[in-house]
Amino acid sequence: MRIKTLSKTVCMAMLFASTSTLTLAQSLTIGMATAQTGWLASYDGPVVEGIKIAIDEINAKGGIGGKIMIKTIAKDVRSDAAQTSIAVQELVDDNVSVIFLPCDADPAFAAAAIVDDAKIPAFSTCASSPTLPLMGGDYMFANFPGDNVQSAVSGKWAYDQGHRTAYLLYSPESQYTTLPLYFGDVIEQLGGQVIGKATYKLDQQDFSAEVTKIKAISPQPDVIMTAAYEPNFPAFIKQLRSAGVTSQVIGSDGIDSPTTFSLGKASEGVVFTTAGHATPGSELEKFNALYKAKTGNDSDTVFNAIGYDLIKVIEAAVLAANSTDPVKLRDAIAELENVRGATSLITYKGTSGMPIREVSLVRVNNGERELVGQPAPDANLVPEPRLQ
Amino acid sequence: MTVLSWRHFFISIAMPVLVILCFAIVAHFIGGSIERSSIVFFISLTVVAGIGVYSGNSGILSFGHLSFMALGAYASAILTLPVQMKKLMLPNLPDFLGSTQLDFFPAMIVSTLFVMLVAVFIGLLISRLDGSAATIATLALLVIVHGIIIGARDYTRGSQTFFGVPRETDIWIAGAVCAFALVASRIFRDSVPGLKLRSSREDAISARSNGVGIRNERLIAWVLSAGLVALAGIILGHYLGAFSPKKFYFVDTFALLAMLIVGGMSTMTGAVVGAIVITLVTEVLRRLEGGIEVLGIQFPEVFGMTQIGIGLVILFVMFKRPDGLAGLREFDEKLSLRFLKPEHPAKSSAAQLPVLKDKAPLVADSISKYFVGVKAVDGVSIDINPGEIVGLIGPNGSGKTTLLNMLSAVTPATSGLIQMGSHTISSLTSDRAAKLGIARTYQNIRLFSTLSVKQNVLVAALSKWPRINIREAMARSDAAMEWMGIENKALLVAGNLSYGDQRRVEIARALALEPKYLFLDEPAAGMNRVETDSLMDALNEIRSQLNIGLLIVDHDLPLIMRLCDRVVVLNEGQCIARGKPEAIQKDPIVVEAYLGRKKQAGD
Repeated sequence: MRIKTLSKTVCMAMLFASTSTLTLAQSLTIGMATAQTGWLASYDGPVVEGIKIAIDEINAKGGIGGKIMIKTIAKDVRSDAAQTSIAVQELVDDNVSVIFLPCDADPAFAAAAIVDDAKIPAFSTCASSPTLPLMGGDYMFANFPGDNVQSAVSGKWAYDQGHRTAYLLYSPESQYTTLPLYFGDVIEQLGGQVIGKATYKLDQQDFSAEVTKIKAISPQPDVIMTAAYEPNFPAFIKQLRSAGVTSQVIGSDGIDSPTTFSLGKASEGVVFTTAGHATPGSELEKFNALYKAKTGNDSDTVFNAIGYDLIKVIEAAVLAANSTDPVKLRDAIAELENVRGATSLITYKGTSGMPIREVSLVRVNNGERELVGQPAPDANLVPEPRLQ
Repeated sequence: MTVLSWRHFFISIAMPVLVILCFAIVAHFIGGSIERSSIVFFISLTVVAGIGVYSGNSGILSFGHLSFMALGAYASAILTLPVQMKKLMLPNLPDFLGSTQLDFFPAMIVSTLFVMLVAVFIGLLISRLDGSAATIATLALLVIVHGIIIGARDYTRGSQTFFGVPRETDIWIAGAVCAFALVASRIFRDSVPGLKLRSSREDAISARSNGVGIRNERLIAWVLSAGLVALAGIILGHYLGAFSPKKFYFVDTFALLAMLIVGGMSTMTGAVVGAIVITLVTEVLRRLEGGIEVLGIQFPEVFGMTQIGIGLVILFVMFKRPDGLAGLREFDEKLSLRFLKPEHPAKSSAAQLPVLKDKAPLVADSISKYFVGVKAVDGVSIDINPGEIVGLIGPNGSGKTTLLNMLSAVTPATSGLIQMGSHTISSLTSDRAAKLGIARTYQNIRLFSTLSVKQNVLVAALSKWPRINIREAMARSDAAMEWMGIENKALLVAGNLSYGDQRRVEIARALALEPKYLFLDEPAAGMNRVETDSLMDALNEIRSQLNIGLLIVDHDLPLIMRLCDRVVVLNEGQCIARGKPEAIQKDPIVVEAYLGRKKQAGD
């Protein structure tokens, strides 16, 4: 029997030269079509680390519910939409139960029609565009607080601080970088005013034109809002501050990275929304300790914990469905409520696939992470999702 | 339609169709990832065959063809996107696009035609450029179109993913398009423009002086290849269902050109071989990237291996087989040499070159050519009559070849007029002059080295196409080969012949132009006495039977003296003597300038 199984494994491995697809009765196979190279790798990389920590933790206890082991098949999609489409089709061929997609709505959209046809639930690891699950169909889920929800939180905070005028810096080249437009909606709904907008390119390093425009505004805007991240954000904030603009800068989850905290005076005082904060005694603090124990390093981005959250959601869904059947899993996911993740309680019930999660407001204070607050978003302030 | 025999033609197109069909059936039967990989393979092969139509035949590597792929994909995606989706995704589309939705096949046709139209305009510019200038221009094209697609946000969503494209492409559609592309590229290679374009790839200067204008041929190939690549883009878009401009940029250009280069750029066979090799390498490496378990040992995940793998394959092939794995010949050409009865032209009395009736002399009146600081030819007048052999002699550097170049319009004269009847040769390009009946050979032999002897000669005979049909052109090139006694070498590769034979091929090629005047630049160089004698007999025949006027440059003075009716002597760019051979031999100025010195040096 053992020899037979072994020879079978060898045959399969030699025939397909691919990850063995030999499935045991009690296992859940997750297909991971994530970006391990390219511009999204700095997000998907940490997420996948968190995913592995969670899977190891669960499998060490004998699997989900002590019986269903988790397996993964990993494909690199190079941060590219077309490659995502190809990788996801291959994962469908491999009969996976769940598919993970890259950390951005654009490549994730490429998989929408495929997972919908195949009836396999799919999660973008950390895309925050609310349009993704909305337009991606019943089988598309997200794993992050939506751009519109983050904007509602940061917009409300800005208004409460007395800020009334906002300047928006956004890039129409991806869904996520248009987040400031949601922020503008929130500010205007509250009675504030958007006094200017500028766009940039995703590979842009020189922001002198934009900074000059902002510098010329009189009086200066109270708030400058941007969803720019690396490499745009560090370049922008340095040039902005060295030009002498002192307006409050508000960002979003994309700058929750070590770089932001290492920019010295330039990023000092920047406030941004993100998915969690390790307050003493919190789940996130526990996760960070686990991460340190597993890897020997400190977790320096919330995206590690986001990966851990995702597996917790899958675990909860498998337990609820008592099955690894993709369709049953999807239905179970759509009914999940208050799943305890590392960053937040996570709820999919009653949403179109964009989870309800806590949003944390964080300030850069002396190069350290300072929690500004974890306010519940005001439902009336959350703008309607739309393609920007 | 092509310069192939019907039997050969049938084999050359039936084989790829059959292979693709079998491939598709097997892939469909296995299904799953094999079927999907096969679809991607068919699409890649379509692109490679498409690029090969231009790059392979013209010899100009194109980095720009993926821009046609992108235009095809986007055009077809916009046309087929459901109206509801358009309102959400592309709210700013102009009304006639926003409110219409075409089915897949009409959209495919419309998009392909659209791309070909675009290609015509771009091709008008690019076909004027040669060699690396053209290659760099195609690179610029790739960058510009990429920029336009990102900028045209209202039509394309900019650099964001275009999604929701109906996923229509299955293995049959991909296979059909691929087979179509292979057949089109195979037919084009041996069509009249294809053969002419290949001759220009081998030697642009002598292609022009054999009546190939090059620009038109390049344009035709460019537009056809753009259409094929656009088709590939269209089925790719409808296979993926979602794509962004990045899919049609450097990374994929690199991967697809790797197929073209590894397989061999100049043949359809090479496209197939290259696509198979690179696809196998990438598929295997891509799967290995995710980590693999062999004999119970788990190998780690290593991402980014595929690019390195392709690079290594290219390096290996370039070292071992610089012309690509498939070399320079099609599979059917190799087959026909080995298994089919070689089709040597039948020796027939019917195949005759026409006897010239035209009486107009070729007159050059005081022509000059000045290079910077040098008067290569300075005010030389020369005239040649039909049926006359004129010798042109002079020491090295006296301007003989420059004079020949001007007379054949290969280089323009700085001043002076060259006329043949009512035609002013000095204001023409060399391909126009060739079509009017000015033929020439070159001092340093300019054959189309990788083409067969027959194809070399046929290119010149086809300068009269389409006024004469291909069969007539064949008959004339057969006759021209017979004149020079090389008909039994017709199927050999011209570049592999002996020196003397290559000279004969060059003269046969010139004869196939049916020239009124034929200029020979050192035709006897490198020949032994026996070969020289038989060449002289042939030239005498040409003059007396075909009534062609000959102008011969040679250092073989006995040959010149025996063959020529008149001799013109150049020295330092000026004509120092002219007259009958006997008089020239005794002319003291000539003896002083040329013969005397030569004798002293010789003795």
